[in-house]
Amino acid sequence: MEVKNSYIPYQVRIADKTEEAPMVQTYRLEFVNPSDATAFSFKAGQFAEYGVFGEGESTFCIASPPTREGYVECTFRSSGRVTKALANCEINDIIGFRGPFGNTFPIEQWYGKNIVIITGGIGLPPLRCVIWNILDQREKFGNLTIYYGAKSVADLVYKKELQEWKERNDVNLYLTVDPGGETPDWKDHIGFVPTILEQNLPSSHNAIAIVAGPPILIKLGMPILGKCGFANNTIYTTLENRMKCGVGKCGHCTVGKTYVCKDGPVFTYEEILNMPPEY
Amino acid sequence: MPLTRSKPKTKKHLSDNDYQMEQSLISSANLQAFFETLLQSGRIVVAPVLKQSGKVFFQPVQAYSEVATDYIQTAFSAKSVVFPKVETLFSFVRKDGEITLTDSLNRIPETVVWGLRPCDAAGFDYLTEFFLRENPDSYFKTRKEHTTLITFGCKEADNACFCTSVGLNPGNTTGSDILMTFMNEECYVEIMTEKGQQAVALAPSLFKASEVRQKDAFLAKPATRFSIDEIKDKIKHAYASAEWKQVSLGCFSCGACAFACPTCTCFDIQDEGTQDKGVRLRCWDACGFGMFTRHSSGHNPKNNQTERRRQRLMHKFNYSVDNLGIVSCVGCGRCIRVCPAHLNIFENILSVTKD
Amino acid sequence: MMKALQNKVTELFENGTITLMIGFRGVLDKFAIPVFITEVSQADQLIWTPACLNNLSVYLHKSEVKQVGKIGIIGNAGTLRSLLQLISENQLKELELTILTINEQNEVIVFASTEELEVYVQANCPAYNPEDQALVDKLNAMTREERWKYWTGQLSACVKCYACRAVCPMCYCSVCTVECNQPQWIKLSSETEGNLEWHIMRAMHLAGRCINCGECGRICPAGIPLQLLTVQMNQEIERAFGGKTGFSAKSGYALNTFKTEDKETFIR
Repeated sequence: MEVKNSYIPYQVRIADKTEEAPMVQTYRLEFVNPSDATAFSFKAGQFAEYGVFGEGESTFCIASPPTREGYVECTFRSSGRVTKALANCEINDIIGFRGPFGNTFPIEQWYGKNIVIITGGIGLPPLRCVIWNILDQREKFGNLTIYYGAKSVADLVYKKELQEWKERNDVNLYLTVDPGGETPDWKDHIGFVPTILEQNLPSSHNAIAIVAGPPILIKLGMPILGKCGFANNTIYTTLENRMKCGVGKCGHCTVGKTYVCKDGPVFTYEEILNMPPEY
Repeated sequence: MPLTRSKPKTKKHLSDNDYQMEQSLISSANLQAFFETLLQSGRIVVAPVLKQSGKVFFQPVQAYSEVATDYIQTAFSAKSVVFPKVETLFSFVRKDGEITLTDSLNRIPETVVWGLRPCDAAGFDYLTEFFLRENPDSYFKTRKEHTTLITFGCKEADNACFCTSVGLNPGNTTGSDILMTFMNEECYVEIMTEKGQQAVALAPSLFKASEVRQKDAFLAKPATRFSIDEIKDKIKHAYASAEWKQVSLGCFSCGACAFACPTCTCFDIQDEGTQDKGVRLRCWDACGFGMFTRHSSGHNPKNNQTERRRQRLMHKFNYSVDNLGIVSCVGCGRCIRVCPAHLNIFENILSVTKD
Repeated sequence: MMKALQNKVTELFENGTITLMIGFRGVLDKFAIPVFITEVSQADQLIWTPACLNNLSVYLHKSEVKQVGKIGIIGNAGTLRSLLQLISENQLKELELTILTINEQNEVIVFASTEELEVYVQANCPAYNPEDQALVDKLNAMTREERWKYWTGQLSACVKCYACRAVCPMCYCSVCTVECNQPQWIKLSSETEGNLEWHIMRAMHLAGRCINCGECGRICPAGIPLQLLTVQMNQEIERAFGGKTGFSAKSGYALNTFKTEDKETFIR
């Protein structure tokens, strides 16, 4: 039985770097080997291990949608050894890319439904994948409502795309910054994301919701959705835990018997409630 | 709405095989000759060796005289044969903007482990399920394919041994390629797999066919501490037990139990070298360490020793049952012997599952 | 004698002096292991035998223990000296500690003050274990090449379980040097080079602080006599600065102490 070695990364070249916010960058990555590019595919929700040879690997979602071929994108904040080394890479540098890992958002099951997305700060990248996946097939879905905020205007990621989504008439975007984070010319909402959510409650009729991002947002957002009538198995989240191998072996990401890397990272709120609170 | 998920496990073990077990006999006096045949075949022979510290460890040997015989159990398991404490996943070199990766999968030598106990062999069976059932691990697979396991039934046990409490016993054949049981001047040999047969076939004149024999009278009788079926049932509700704090107070948060254990598999991945030349390594890690689950943000989902020790015991007796259908503890007692506080896993399991 | 100990501990619980007793109990007919007694009814578990070897002072760094309140702790010679060294390093300030021991005459002693503890330790506790001293003498008699060969041989067996760090009362850093990865000062892998880095670093961090209880070597799962490294380092510090660790609550730490009488001139 020929077994694929899950620890050998693809080699990808940094094709583009965008600074999204202080310490936060998006990299566009292209496969060095054309046959890797052809063989590679993934679905929304999956993540990868992005590595700098000699420094180590770091886990981020794949932030570009699977509907766009030829490249993958990741958005990350430099906080530790590997992310700092990644941030210091130049265009055309080769880094390692291992993936895709994990389960996926069941996008096909959401055809015809209204989609509600709630996130904040650096929680937007995994959901940006979902948003573009939906926008690239817009006619298949009902209403798309997005609640997104950050500490300050500078901390908002994907600023150009947020502007694009705002201007579309098939997307309802509630954009907010924390009180004190606004600039003098800020025209959108001011308030924490859960507050804006409560002031503009979504309808649960024929809808699913995704809440992801800082644990506090998940903790506050889920009950609000419950109040709107969302059943626990119609609310989704994507969990983060410390991950290393990505394939359910190293043991770092376990929550009870569940491996976030292979049984997740996408879970319904119903499943979360059945897990020990170890994430 | 169901999510796309990896598939649940079937009941058949990966190490189950259709090989028709054979029995034979070898005189105890001829064991040395068999051993030397294995050495001469070019295989690496790993056997228990008594060290100056008084502890016994598995290590490669060059002569039968090096093999320890008068001991109950080795300090560490033999899992490093198939899951080494440091494994090079690959080496890399960066030159002129290009990167070359090299792995060492094709350089694993044929190895025999001599002198396992039945608990250890069952440990290899668990490791096989864990590493190969889902997302098969290339490194484990290659090493395991090149390893033959020769086990000896236990004449003696001490009171840290508790294999009979976890569904095993001192004559159990699970995981062994060959199981030998001393019966006075002879060894009763149970050849369990093709690989075992290949080892025996290296020195066929030393073995003669045998009828099936009863082993019980020649094997140790370790005390049974609990019924595993009862524990498997009760532990499902043990997560919230108030006893976890008390059973964890003595825990120092080191990795001794995990590293000595035949079935602990957690690891870290570390790069060494520079960005131009180096290696990516897989190293043993332990869920008991304080940093094991810590995020780079500083958030730690299991931020005290009570939660970490609970994770270890729940994993051995509950989570591995849910995920693979097997209790991963084999009752070898190493964790009890090697723990600086001699924390007692079977006593702790009874505490957290008591009514 | 054990009855006397159990009775004394019962008394300390009943008069409110302690709410937690850290001592030893027996298991499996052979081990004496740490026990954490929170109720009077459990006091009869306490034993005191030659098998009571753990240095219990290490538990005083554990948050689950510190938060209990009034702590009683029984110590053998190593533990008592650790307590003095920890006091001199300001590590036990917030604790309400009651320290017990059992002397050569099998009497239970409850130390009424740090001074009383100092007097007892200075009179009764040895600085070095004679077996360790004999082995250190042998090492010191080796050539540098022989000594290097000895330690690389021994340390190749290390598996980086960090049990040595875990049982050491002086290893109380909230983030150990090995846990720093910016930069990764000490390699994490447990091959010989990485093992040497770890143990050499640890011996340096303990030089002049270790009280030679010998626990690190005793409990090492790989059977490495680690205590010999720190015994040697301590003897180097003694030669350079005088004084032995763990006999006074004011000794402090030679390598972070500056005295105007110090013979080095570079700092003047």
